[in-house]
Amino acid sequence: MSSVSDVIVRPPSAPAPAPSPSYLEDGHTLRSWLTTHDHKRIAILYAISITVFFFIGGLAATIIRLELATPAGDLVSHDTYNKLFTAHGVIMVWLFLIPSIPSVFGNFLIPLMIGAKDLAFPRLNLLSWYLYVAGGAIVLAALALGGVDTGWTFYAPYATMFSNSWVALTLVGVFVVGFSSILTGLNFIVTVHTLRAPGLGWFKLPLFVWAHYATAIILVLATPVLAITTLLVVAERLLQIGVFDPAHGGDPLLFQHLFWFYSHPAVYIMVLPAMGVVSEIVPCFARKRIFGYRFMAYAILGIASIGFLVWGHHMFVSGQSLAASLVFSLLSFLVAVPSAIKVFNWTATLYKGSIRFDAPMLYALGFVGLFTIGGLTGLFVASLALDVHLTDTYFVVAHFHYIMVGGSVMAYFGALHFWWPKATGRMYPELWGRIAAVLIFVGFNLTFFPQFLLGLRGMPRRYHAYPPEFHQLHMASSMGAVVLALGYLLPLVYFAYSLRATCRTSANPFGALGLEWQTRSPPPTHNFDRPPTVPEHVYDYATPTKAEPARTPAAQATSP
Amino acid sequence: MSAIAAPALAAADDAPRTAQLGMWVFLGTEVLFFGGLFVAYAVGRAHWPHGFAVASRHTDVVLGTVNTAVLLTSSAIVAFAVACADHPAQRRWTALALWATAALGVVFLAIKGVEYAHEWSEHLFPLADFALTEPGAELFWVLYFVMTILHSVHLLIGIVGVAAFARATGAGKSWPTPGRVDTMALYWHFVDIVWIVLYPLLYLVERHA
Amino acid sequence: MKQTTLREHARVVVIAWAVLLALMLTSLGSAYLDLGAGNVVAGLVIAFVKSAIVLWLFMRLRKSSATVRIVAATALATLLILLALSGVDYATRTSEPAAFQSPRQAPSFVGGKPATQQTR
Repeated sequence: MSSVSDVIVRPPSAPAPAPSPSYLEDGHTLRSWLTTHDHKRIAILYAISITVFFFIGGLAATIIRLELATPAGDLVSHDTYNKLFTAHGVIMVWLFLIPSIPSVFGNFLIPLMIGAKDLAFPRLNLLSWYLYVAGGAIVLAALALGGVDTGWTFYAPYATMFSNSWVALTLVGVFVVGFSSILTGLNFIVTVHTLRAPGLGWFKLPLFVWAHYATAIILVLATPVLAITTLLVVAERLLQIGVFDPAHGGDPLLFQHLFWFYSHPAVYIMVLPAMGVVSEIVPCFARKRIFGYRFMAYAILGIASIGFLVWGHHMFVSGQSLAASLVFSLLSFLVAVPSAIKVFNWTATLYKGSIRFDAPMLYALGFVGLFTIGGLTGLFVASLALDVHLTDTYFVVAHFHYIMVGGSVMAYFGALHFWWPKATGRMYPELWGRIAAVLIFVGFNLTFFPQFLLGLRGMPRRYHAYPPEFHQLHMASSMGAVVLALGYLLPLVYFAYSLRATCRTSANPFGALGLEWQTRSPPPTHNFDRPPTVPEHVYDYATPTKAEPARTPAAQATSP
Repeated sequence: MSAIAAPALAAADDAPRTAQLGMWVFLGTEVLFFGGLFVAYAVGRAHWPHGFAVASRHTDVVLGTVNTAVLLTSSAIVAFAVACADHPAQRRWTALALWATAALGVVFLAIKGVEYAHEWSEHLFPLADFALTEPGAELFWVLYFVMTILHSVHLLIGIVGVAAFARATGAGKSWPTPGRVDTMALYWHFVDIVWIVLYPLLYLVERHA
Repeated sequence: MKQTTLREHARVVVIAWAVLLALMLTSLGSAYLDLGAGNVVAGLVIAFVKSAIVLWLFMRLRKSSATVRIVAATALATLLILLALSGVDYATRTSEPAAFQSPRQAPSFVGGKPATQQTR
C-alpha cells in the first residue's frame, strides 16, 4: 500500500496539516463520547447501536429461515415463530431501517454538505440518540421477557384484546423511539433552512440533502400519528377503553387507518435517504453529472407528498369500502411515477459515463436494479384484483424486502463504503468490498426471488409450517439467506481491519465532489479548517479541471 | 470557481430564527399527535351522533366555558408578555405577565380537577359502572378523558416552562431573551388552540333539548 | 416610539381577546339553538376563526417568514388528508351492529344490547 498517493492527491497550494485534532481524537474518554454535541460523534454512536440491532434482527431472520427450510414446523413452536417474525419486523423497521441512513449518514454529512459547523440543535441530536437507545432497550426488555406475537403491525383486536404477550411494553419502546425520529427530523429541517453556507441555494444542494429534507418532513408529520396510535393501543390493553373495539362503539379499522397513515410514509423514510445516497455515488463513479437534477429534486418531494395519500393500499381486504380502495389504488399508481423518474435519471446518468465498479458503485447499481423490481411488484399489489390473491402471501414479503433490503440496506452499505474513508480516514480493502457486495447481491436474490414465486402459488406469510409442494422454493430461499448472511458479516471483518493505521487514506480518495470532500479525513471537530468553496454546479464531474484525480493507488489496496 | 464561501453562521448568531422555526416544526408534530384523536372523535361522532349528543350533555358546560375563557385570557396575557419582553425597561411587567399566565394555567387544571371529580361521582368514567346506556356514549367519554388528559399534560409542561421563564425574568437573568420568550409563548398558544377546538367538540355537541 | 409600539401591541392583544371571548359566547349560544347539521358546522367554524386569530395575531403568523407559514399550513393540510381519505372509507362503508359480543365485552353495555345505529 503506497503512501505516495497522499502527496499526489493533495492540491499543491494546501498548507501543512492543520493543528486541530480530528473529531475522533478530540477527547478519548467514554464520557467525551456520551456527552458529545458533535454531530459526527453522534453519528458514530448511532452507527454502533443500529449495527447491534441489525444483527439481533438478523438473528431472528436466521431462525425463521432455518425453520422454513423444511415444511414441518419442527424447529420452534408456532407461538415462538410468531414472536420471531414480530421481533424481526419491529427491530428491523424501527430500530434499524428508520434510523439507519438518516441518523448515521444524515447526521454525519448534512452539516458538512452544507458547509455548517453542526446541526441546528446539537443537544437535541444527542437527546435523540439517548431516546433511541432507551426505546431500543425497552423493546429488547420486552423481547427478553417473552416477546410479542402480534406481528410488527399490531392489528386490533388481537393486539388490543387477545394477545397474551408483551404488547404494551413493546409499544412503549416504539413510542420512545418515535420521539427520537421526530427530533432528528426537526433538526434536519431547521438545519437545512437556516445553516446553509452563503451562496448555497436550494438548487445547489446535493440530492442527499434534498432526500433527507423530504425524509425529515415525513418524520415530523407521520411519526406523531404512530405515537398517538401506540398510546391508544396501550390504553386499550391496560384499561379496555374500547376505541378500537366494536362492542364499545369503536372500530378496529380505525387502528389500521391510523397505523398505516404512519407506516406507509415510513417506507419512504426508509427509501428516500437511500435514493439520496445513490444520487451521490452514481455521478461520482460514472464521472458524470446527475441527469435531470431538478427533476430528481422534484421527484423526491413528489414521493414524500404523494406517499401520504396511499396508505389504504394496505387495507384492501380488511373491510375498507370499495370506493376508498379504488381511490387508494389509483393514488398508489401515481406514487410510482416520481420513483420511476428517478430510476430513469440514474440510468441516464450512467449512459456514456466513465464507470468504475468500485464497491460503493456496486451497491448503488444493485439498488437501482433491485429497487426497480421491488417498485414494479408494488404495482402488482396496488392493483385491487391482484391484491386479493397476493395479499398476506410471500409475494408481499418479497416485494417489501426487495425495496427495504435490496434497496435501502444496499444503499446503507454503499454509503458505508463511500464515506468510510471520510469518517475514519482509512480505506477499506477494495477487493473484499467488492466480494461482499457481490455476495450480498447474489444472496439477496437467491433468498427473495423464490418468495415471489411462493406468493404467487399461495404460500401465506407468517406461517411456520407449509405444504410440501412449497419445499423447494423455501429451501432455495433459506440457502440464499446463508449467502446473504455471509455477505453481511464480511464487512464487519474488513472494516475492523481497515481501522489499522496502515490503511490511512487522503481527504478525497474517490475524487468526489461535494463540500464534505473538501475537508480532511477524518474531519476536524468544527468540520472545516478553511471555509469550503461552493461550486457552480453541484455534480460538475464532467469538467476535468474541477474534479480531483479520478483514482488514487491507496484506494486500490487489495491485500488484507 | 465561485467566490470563497464564509463558514455558515453558528447557530447562536441567529438563534431566535432557528429556535422559532424549531418550535413551529414541533408544533406541527403536535397537530398530528392530537390529530389522531380528532380522527377517532370524527369517526365516533359520525357513527353515533345520538350517543355523542347524549354523552356531551353530561359535561359541565359552565365549568368548561369558564375554562375556555381562562385559557383565552392566559393566551392574551402571554402575548402581552412577549410584547413586553421586547422592551427591557418593562422587565417587571414581563415577569408579572408570565406569572399570571402560569397562574391561569393552574386555575384551568384546578377547574378540570373539579370536573373530573364530578364526573367520577356521576359514573362517567368509562369503567365497569359506566352510567350511560346509549350506544356511543361510552366512546365519547373515553375520548373526552384521553383528549383532556393529554391536553392537561401538555398544559402542565407549559406551566412549568412559563413559570421558569417568569422566575428567571423576574430575577434579571439573561437567558430569557425576547426570542426565547416568544418561543415559549408559541407553545402556550398552541395548547390554547387545542382547547379552542376541543371546547365545541366536547361541551357543545347538542345542548338544545 | 418603542413605548407607542408596546401600547399598540397591547391594544391589538386586548381587542383580539375581546373578540375571542365574544366568539366563545357565540359558540356557546349557538349550541342551544336547533340548527341540525348547522350546529357542528357553527361550532367548528367559530373554533377555526378563534384559532386563526390566535395564530395570526398572538402567534404573530402575519409577521413570520414564509417558511413558518408553510410549516403551519403543511401540518394542517396533512391532518386534513388523514381526515379526508379515511373519511372516504367511513362515508362509503355501512357498519353493521356487532352480531356477537363475548361475555367480556357485554358488561360495558349496561342494557346488554349491541349497537343499533348505522352510519348516515
